[in-house]
Amino acid sequence: MNPQFIRNFSIIAHIDHGKSTLADQLLLKTGAITQREFKEQILDDLDVERERGITVKARTVAIPYQQDGIKYELNLIDTPGHVDFHYEVSRSLAACEGALLVVDAFQGVQAQTVANAYAAINNDLVIIPVLNKIDLPVVRIDEVLEEVESILGLDISDVLKVSAKKGIGIEEVFRAIVAKIPPPKGKPEEPLRALVFDSKYDGYRGVLTYVRVMDGTIRKGQKIRFLKAKIDVDVIDMGQFRPHMTACEELGPGQVGYLVTGQKELGLVHVGDTVANPQQLPSAPLPGYQVPQQMVFCGMYPIEATDFEKLREELQKLSMNDASFSFIAETSEALGFGFRCGFLGMLHMEIVQQRLEKEFEIDLIQTAPNVTYEILTRNDEVLVIDNPQRVPDSGQIKEFREPIVRVNFILATEAIGPIMQLCAERRGIYKSTEYLGPKRAQLVYELPLAEVIYDMYDKLKSITRGYGTMDYEIIGFSPADLVKMDILVKGNRVDALSTIVHRSNSDRRGRALAKRLKEEISKHQFEIAIQAAIGAKIIARETISALRKNVTAKCYGGDITRKRKLWAKQKEGKKRMKQFGEVEIPQKAFLSVLDANKDD
Amino acid sequence: MTTSLINSRSSQHADAAYLHVPFCVHRCGYCDFTLISGRDELIDVYLEALEIELSSLQSPRPMQTLFLGGGTPSHLSLSQLSRLFDLLDHWLPTTSESEFSLEANPLDLSWEKLDLFAARGVNRISLGVQTFNDDLLKVLERDHSGTQALEAIQRTRSFVDNLSIDLIFGVPGQSLDLWQQTLDLAIAAQPLHISTYGLTIEKGTSFWIRREKGMLSPLTPELEREMYGRVMDCLSAAKFEQYELSNFARPGFACRHNIGYWTGRSFYGFGPGAAQYLDGCRELNHRSVTHWLKRVQSGRSPISERESLNDEDRARELAVLNLRQIAGIDCCEFEERTGFDVHLLAGETITRFLRRGWLEATDSHVRLTREGRFVADTIVAEFL
Ligand SMILES: Nc1nc2c(ncn2[C@@H]2O[C@H](COP(=O)(O)OP(=O)(O)OP(=O)(O)O)[C@@H](O)[C@H]2O)c(=O)[nH]1
Ligand code: SF4
Ligand SMILES: [Mg+2]
Repeated sequence: MNPQFIRNFSIIAHIDHGKSTLADQLLLKTGAITQREFKEQILDDLDVERERGITVKARTVAIPYQQDGIKYELNLIDTPGHVDFHYEVSRSLAACEGALLVVDAFQGVQAQTVANAYAAINNDLVIIPVLNKIDLPVVRIDEVLEEVESILGLDISDVLKVSAKKGIGIEEVFRAIVAKIPPPKGKPEEPLRALVFDSKYDGYRGVLTYVRVMDGTIRKGQKIRFLKAKIDVDVIDMGQFRPHMTACEELGPGQVGYLVTGQKELGLVHVGDTVANPQQLPSAPLPGYQVPQQMVFCGMYPIEATDFEKLREELQKLSMNDASFSFIAETSEALGFGFRCGFLGMLHMEIVQQRLEKEFEIDLIQTAPNVTYEILTRNDEVLVIDNPQRVPDSGQIKEFREPIVRVNFILATEAIGPIMQLCAERRGIYKSTEYLGPKRAQLVYELPLAEVIYDMYDKLKSITRGYGTMDYEIIGFSPADLVKMDILVKGNRVDALSTIVHRSNSDRRGRALAKRLKEEISKHQFEIAIQAAIGAKIIARETISALRKNVTAKCYGGDITRKRKLWAKQKEGKKRMKQFGEVEIPQKAFLSVLDANKDD
Repeated sequence: MTTSLINSRSSQHADAAYLHVPFCVHRCGYCDFTLISGRDELIDVYLEALEIELSSLQSPRPMQTLFLGGGTPSHLSLSQLSRLFDLLDHWLPTTSESEFSLEANPLDLSWEKLDLFAARGVNRISLGVQTFNDDLLKVLERDHSGTQALEAIQRTRSFVDNLSIDLIFGVPGQSLDLWQQTLDLAIAAQPLHISTYGLTIEKGTSFWIRREKGMLSPLTPELEREMYGRVMDCLSAAKFEQYELSNFARPGFACRHNIGYWTGRSFYGFGPGAAQYLDGCRELNHRSVTHWLKRVQSGRSPISERESLNDEDRARELAVLNLRQIAGIDCCEFEERTGFDVHLLAGETITRFLRRGWLEATDSHVRLTREGRFVADTIVAEFL
């Protein structure tokens, strides 16, 4: 295909502003999907995506489109809007020449609108702003246009106004794509360079590699080399997403598709690698991607110790399809063999856990998430701590540092006061306020990541009744008065329940956690003391009294079925238990560390 | 009559049956049984329907054990009772070798009724005493006094030797001393069998509502435990053998019918809410009295739920029922009946509870320890 007639673009926006719905329209209007096949947000095909109504994975589609008698190929990438999946967006942008920036005509410019627009600008992409949801009964078109101009510095003279839901203004979107987005620059006859932007494991075909061709041409049957992985393989099969996988014979500059190379080993090819032709190597590989920075870590342990290898395999498969999460094996006295996994945020963590349990059917115990810390030891060594268990004795610590993020809030002016108060409570440092219009402002703070990541978003939503948004990025580490808080259950330290807290909060959190654990751990035949401790000092204590009586008096003919079901249910709740010493601790207890943090 | 009413009953043979009589003068505050109160005009219709339901057997079935429960079977009038006994004589005949139990309330036990019961073959009466303390009887919303209960016991004994009395502990306001007094009076009255039930407050009862509103405060688990411990101590001292978590009998007087439930025996069930268990299939009649009536009268099956467990689940259920008996699981017999070795089925659970001292194992049996009886639910759940 002549690159002249190819257009590559991402659809980017703040969460829920209508990216996937707009993608639906583009697919429908070109006949890429038929009305019969259609369902809302058709590209969101993961179970977790449909359940939650959000996009988690970026998705590519090649759309054949005809305008004024000329045939074009539009390669669209629908991206996720949630802050946790920003890495998906940045990878998508590197495979495009343009971006449709969707802005909700009522909600206006929000935190991820800003973050994603800047990412597109930094990639030198042509940005086409699209005002969406103009069918809503209340819209703020003029104000929103002003925001787009003043905050993002974009030209608003010919902003598109559409309703993705009602299919209004879609023709203009197509025209703008063709007219404004430059065609790919590569030449078909140059040495091949294709960017690996994603991959996936398929039970039948092995590893599928998703590429965007930058220069040259890939042909079915040829040998290719992954430059970073340094392996040569044959292209057994290849194709495009239309949106279903559709075989093709070759892919030229600008085109996007998948390669089947018959590999069964996982973990060899990474996103960001360059595919080349070993017979005609290019002068340099493509720049690739920055390694994403995981924000939260937690332990994931199989309930059944025998599931450990299976878990490793599934984590590997999952990470092929999600380059932004990491895992390494670790052991815990309490939980045995498992993995410490890193995620971009809480939603990301939840989704990975859900996929592991649902798609791969492994019962897991998950420990409470934590951020990464740095410790400067007396020997002037810097330790990176992504697991509280690894904190050395306080005697060895010269400096305990925590990650700091710059948080960008976009909110209504009346919410500034309450949010400033919240940030002050959370050890925030005020940076700036900028008014975006008469009623909206952008507030910038520096905060410890640990004070932001677990529940700041929920707090913000409740303070602003849903209309405030935030975005954050790590700017470095700084020293703080941090301590490791241990939990002792019946005198034994349970390593998986240790957390790192700020000393000023430790008493409160210790009490909250001990109380939560008391609720989660069921009664045993003996009394169980639950203590929170810093070093040898006990800072909180709760006691679970012994189980004294639990017996149903009657169980005659008519009662048996009902009683059996009752007991079976009682047992069900205990399925995810780990024996620790004499005490059984349920899965939920390990997460209560998190709730205890949220409780204050 | 449609075929649906001639269900598994006609093809299966059991020598035990439960028949539910769902009528009471009024509903006690803690009671969630299948019954209607103050609708005595329905009794005759009920008897008609019962006749239809019984005739689904197609031929008479001689009974080893027959249990008339309720509600209050003794609440029926003399003529209604006669009619009921006629039906039973035909469809579920008993002999003097059989155990024929009937549940009764103290106020119903007139000389005439007792005479009739004895004459019609009832040879075991289970009397709802609950407590001898008048204040607590009021809390429970019972319609008799302690003295009336004692009188009923005396009267009954001149007709039927095998007398059982039901007692409840854990009643709001009950102290350990009050419970001891009731136990002493019960022992002194010399029944051959005593059942003691810890009060449970079930959804849908007036107790439940009152507790939700904070008008009823249940006893502490600690006190309930002491009360249960007290029962076991006193009754064994008085030469009653405990044979199930809630049941105590003089040697030879354990309730054969109830033991059938816990050993996986087949039995028929008639009347609203009654369950039957035939060839591994458990069926439950509609719990609503009027629903049951309508269905039976129109020739439809009164069954609302049917459950047929797979072999393993059935074995697990039997393990639970066996465990609730003091003798526990007879491992050989269990394997014979179910095809499962209980130590393979629940080895880890057994070991764990042996270690805790909640179970004990001999060469032939696995059973609850005395300590285990207090937390039987926690234990049995693990066998499922
Ligand atoms: N009224 C109206 N609603 C719309 C329009 N476009 C999208 N929506 C609704 O907005 C919600 C979010 O739409 P999506 O397309 O899932 O948004 P998204 O930007 O893809 O969301 P993420 O992928 O999770 O970031 C859905 O309920 C859509 O039905 C529109 O033009 N008008
Ligand atoms: S007499 Fe028995 S069956 Fe009737 S309401 Fe009272 S407790 Fe329930
Ligand atoms: Mg989407």
